[in-house]
Amino acid sequence: MSRNNRGAILYLLPTAILFIVFYYWPLVQNLYLSFFSWNMVSPTLKYVGLENFASVLQSSELLKILLNTCVFLLIMLVLNFILPYFYAYILGHLVHHWTSFYRSALFLPATLSLAVASILFLWIYNPLAGPLSIILGWADLDSPRWFKENYLVIFAICTIIGWKVFGYNLIIMLAAMVAVPREMIEAAKLENASNWVIFKKIILPMTSSTAIYVFTITIVFGLQYVLVPVNMLTQGGPNQGSSNLVYIIYQYAFVFFQTGKAAAYAVLTMVCYALFLYVKNKYLEKKVYYEN
Amino acid sequence: MNFKKLLATAMISLIAASALTGCGSEGDKQANGGKVQIEYWHVAAESFGGATVKELVADFNAKHPDIEVVEKYNPDMYKGLTQNLQAAIASGQYPDVVQMGYSYLNYAGENLDYTNLNEAFTKSGDPDFMQNNFLPNVLALAQTENGIQVGLPYSISVPVLYYNPEIFAAAGLDPANPPKTWAEVTTAARTIKEKTGNIGFFMQEYADNWAQQAIIESNGGQMLKKVDGKVKAGFNTPEAAEAYQLLADMVADGSALHATNEEGFQAYLSGKLGMVCTTIGKRANFEKSANFPVKVASFPAFEGKELKVPAGGNFLMIFSKDDAKEKAAVEFIKYLQSPEALVKWNTGTGYMPAPKGVAEDPNGFKKLVAENNNIKVALDLMPYLVKWASFPGANGLQAEQMLIDVRDVILSGEQSAAEALDQTAAKIDQLL
Repeated sequence: MSRNNRGAILYLLPTAILFIVFYYWPLVQNLYLSFFSWNMVSPTLKYVGLENFASVLQSSELLKILLNTCVFLLIMLVLNFILPYFYAYILGHLVHHWTSFYRSALFLPATLSLAVASILFLWIYNPLAGPLSIILGWADLDSPRWFKENYLVIFAICTIIGWKVFGYNLIIMLAAMVAVPREMIEAAKLENASNWVIFKKIILPMTSSTAIYVFTITIVFGLQYVLVPVNMLTQGGPNQGSSNLVYIIYQYAFVFFQTGKAAAYAVLTMVCYALFLYVKNKYLEKKVYYEN
Repeated sequence: MNFKKLLATAMISLIAASALTGCGSEGDKQANGGKVQIEYWHVAAESFGGATVKELVADFNAKHPDIEVVEKYNPDMYKGLTQNLQAAIASGQYPDVVQMGYSYLNYAGENLDYTNLNEAFTKSGDPDFMQNNFLPNVLALAQTENGIQVGLPYSISVPVLYYNPEIFAAAGLDPANPPKTWAEVTTAARTIKEKTGNIGFFMQEYADNWAQQAIIESNGGQMLKKVDGKVKAGFNTPEAAEAYQLLADMVADGSALHATNEEGFQAYLSGKLGMVCTTIGKRANFEKSANFPVKVASFPAFEGKELKVPAGGNFLMIFSKDDAKEKAAVEFIKYLQSPEALVKWNTGTGYMPAPKGVAEDPNGFKKLVAENNNIKVALDLMPYLVKWASFPGANGLQAEQMLIDVRDVILSGEQSAAEALDQTAAKIDQLL
């Protein structure tokens, strides 16, 4: 080991220790727990081998939970990735007045907590007394029971998360949009390129590194945001209609006090994330342009 | 290089130090001028009697110079409290007096390291306190199947029927004569829907099966049964299905609401819903928040069948690990169960008293009942109290969740009540 290396390692050490203690050690601990039946207080952990995994993989709820998780992700990708991307393009290149007002207005919800947003939307979606039901009433429509219908409940929860996350993602992408060199766009305009051609040939490639970042956090963080509104509003209901990989872990661990099965679900979730990151690095990253 | 090393060492020790200080402040709790300090864990949020808990604790501390009770609020009801309790016990820090929900009776009895109440009362020199002050059927509310007294019943709630007299009048129904049977509830709900356009009825959809148990058992059904000494699901019977189907049919024809609990309550309080079936524990909150006079009617019965209402609320458990604290905990429990304290507790929450004779006690509820008929209605339900069904074993809490899931299946009309209850009973039997 060269002198130089040793210095680098020393510098890294504090962070590395924090990472190992608070990220990797819990992962190992989780893997360990997944082989036991335990309720967090009992002094004896009962070794059950692969039984937790077997019961998770054979359960009828697994398919529903995986499907729900995919639906959550798809809706969130639309609300928190695709939509802010186009908004950022419009705000960055097409709108020239009131831009700072739009920016702060759209960013404002990001400063509120998800718990507050959940309560707010519980009112908005109230099928009898909420503002949305009044608006629907003008058109002679009955408000659906937002939190009691399959899939509709997922959409409703995604809008709560979208409301909070949209502004933050927008600001990040707007920064990337504004960083696209003006000269390049001016040159394209001289060549009579349409807005669409400019978007496709210049903006899209030049902002791809930021886009892939927002894409990743939408999936990785988005699924974790789901926990708060689900826990506050539906507890996974109706009949597990809003349950998902993240909430089910919480439910088994802290509602049913079955740490083994919760840990088995956590391992499963870990595998899903690992697969996603592998696919992302192998296929998506190649198409991304990094300036440096 | 030396400087770098120094820096790294400094950083590491800083981290280590900050990690250690987190656990370092344990020892200095006791030294408080010779006072015995005990912790009281409760679930009373500000909107749910929190101020009353603070008032009671302050009053107790003022009357007992040698004891200091510290109250600790646990969010998210008994689920949240049990989570915190598990964590505290795992790290060896026991609270002293704890409110525990009746549906956690089996779980708490089987898994938590609690203090035997009979021994605690004996040690404090009052061995017959429980037998002298409580009726046997009330004490049984906090006993497991094999008769072990896990805690002492404290707050008791019953499901009742709240109604909006203004909607009743607008629909041509008599506000002074609310429905007494489920047949009458169904008719009233349909009349309200037709005449006023408002929804007629909502039964609470908390994350528990409490109110649904009341309607099932009042129709002669049961939640649990014992087969060869083992507890099994008992709700796959025609009686249970009939009761549940009645609710589903009301939802299907639009005269009843199927929504989250908060949505149902919001709709009732804003004058858009005729009747709500939920706990008397919401009385104080409803009376304060509604812009119409909130009226309470008894839990409806089925024609010719006996009413059965499960006791909700909580019982008190002791977890103290040393004698002085245990003695103080017993003293505090006796105070909480005194008529004066129970009157305050009722005013703040709407909960009924557990000890016998408090309702007639001139210091107790006599005045309250005279002032507020809603309280009298709830007190009149006390003879019909049954135990809140609580599934035993490591999967007991998961079984409760399955009953919540099946409620959504039935009320949304996905399956008939009979079919859905059959399937759920099979699933629960597998778990138990």
